[in-house]
Amino acid sequence: MNLAIETNLISKRYRDVTAVDDLSLRVAEGEIYAFLGLNGAGKTTTIRMLLGMIKPTHGMATVLGKHVELCNREPWAKVGYMVETPHAYPELTVRENLEVSRRLHPGIAPQAVSHMIEQLGLAEYADRRAGVLSLGNVQRLGLAKALLHDPHLIILDEPANGLDPAGIVEIRELLLGLVRHQGVTVFMSSHILAEVSRLANRIGIIHQGRLIQEMDVAELEQNRRRRLLVRARNVEIASQVLSAAGFIGELLPGETLELNQLDAILQPDDIARILVEAGTPPTQLLVDEEDLEQYFLRLVGANGGSK
Amino acid sequence: MKNIQDMLWVEWRKAVSSKIPLWTAICSIFMPLAIAFLIFAARNPEISQKLGLISVKANLVAYSSTNWSSYLGLTGMIIAAGGFFLFVLAVSWIFGREFADGTVKDMLAVPVQRSSILLAKLIVAAIWFILLTIVILIVSLIMGAVINLPGGSFDTILQGIFLVLITDCLVIAVSLPFALVASAGRGYILPLGLAVLTLILTNVVAIAGWGNYFPWAIPGIFAQGKNTLTAVSYLIAFVTGLAGMAGTYFWWKYADQNR
Repeated sequence: MNLAIETNLISKRYRDVTAVDDLSLRVAEGEIYAFLGLNGAGKTTTIRMLLGMIKPTHGMATVLGKHVELCNREPWAKVGYMVETPHAYPELTVRENLEVSRRLHPGIAPQAVSHMIEQLGLAEYADRRAGVLSLGNVQRLGLAKALLHDPHLIILDEPANGLDPAGIVEIRELLLGLVRHQGVTVFMSSHILAEVSRLANRIGIIHQGRLIQEMDVAELEQNRRRRLLVRARNVEIASQVLSAAGFIGELLPGETLELNQLDAILQPDDIARILVEAGTPPTQLLVDEEDLEQYFLRLVGANGGSK
Repeated sequence: MKNIQDMLWVEWRKAVSSKIPLWTAICSIFMPLAIAFLIFAARNPEISQKLGLISVKANLVAYSSTNWSSYLGLTGMIIAAGGFFLFVLAVSWIFGREFADGTVKDMLAVPVQRSSILLAKLIVAAIWFILLTIVILIVSLIMGAVINLPGGSFDTILQGIFLVLITDCLVIAVSLPFALVASAGRGYILPLGLAVLTLILTNVVAIAGWGNYFPWAIPGIFAQGKNTLTAVSYLIAFVTGLAGMAGTYFWWKYADQNR
């Protein structure tokens, strides 16, 4: 497996504060890796170390097979990135801002600017000054700068920030297209966990500078909590009936019974049958699956909660 | 070389698209105009009397600019003090705005060497300053002719222009450390504040008689044309410029970039 990003026990300390602590990441080529964490968890510091903007206190990072070093500018021709809030030169137009980016990546054809303006839906704003763009269009411009030189690896910090729902879908489709058709690798941090679960193949969760879990989407399916929620006209009687049948549940507020046994979750029809035969038919049966957001908060909570 | 050309295009585009060059050009026109007006006022008592306190200054300026030679020396002084501030403004804008506007991060993980980016920034700042000097010089020459200064031979004016250009080089050299201040201070407020402080300090040091060894006093002393500077003074100005460039380069290369 070729790795697009590899870090070995990489750390960053500022006097008494440890921003990133012995972080080891492996991101395979062609995958979409989502890097999740609360504010201040160390996501942006990690991204800046991957891009050679910050020197690690300890450890080493490798990007596209090249060590990230001060003198080594080789990887950057194939890396596109957007760190934190994208910024542009406010007095330059969208086209001029992209032209600046093009010249910072020698060898890119001048037509790439117009192509990227079209691809990111910026044609209407191409000759408008960046200083008057909406937050969403500044975000699009930031993405256009990151993608301008056909990078093999795209590192994005909160790519969906400021985008409207249509924009989020558009960018998702764009990134998925790049991964599927061009084999591009995407490493992204995001707070929009619903978006991450739709996009990522692999997820890493960082908390207080440490990588507390790394998993692929299949593992997430296995790890996330599932339960069967049962509602009936008299939920207490329903609970007694199910207890007698071996399904011990917990009464929740709102006349709801929660069952966590795997048999109940996999075969809710059995639960319905038992209740119907006992004369307390269910008014609602719902297999509730924990989403990424709930899973993330449970995991972070178990690891010391929010800062 | 191609990288340098591209970076020069980038820096030039950014500089000319902002309003700062326009404002510095207006200041460059205003300074020699003001000097010429003061000389004109001092020569015309009926105007001088109406100016109150300004007439004292006008008389002082007129006393020190009785001919073309001393007048062009005064132009050199404008460049040494006012020009210094304008050049620091240009340098602060070119370097500091990348941090103030948050655009610096887009220049850090790119295939172009940071040294090429920095060199292009310095070249654009120097060109900007030289253009301002030309504006100051042209306005000074026109105004000198308008107020009809005596002693305006070709040689005198050429010597004056030469003096102004050398003063320019000295100002550029001693102002280069402000690129480091703008970078490390992550904006343009700190270098501009320090420039004002430097101008005040320069006066104090010059009065104390240590001007020949204080980098920021050297251009002003040179512009006076009294040849009191020694080789050590020129060396100090040169080393100051070199230290400013090296410091800026090493800071951009080795400092953690969190903006």
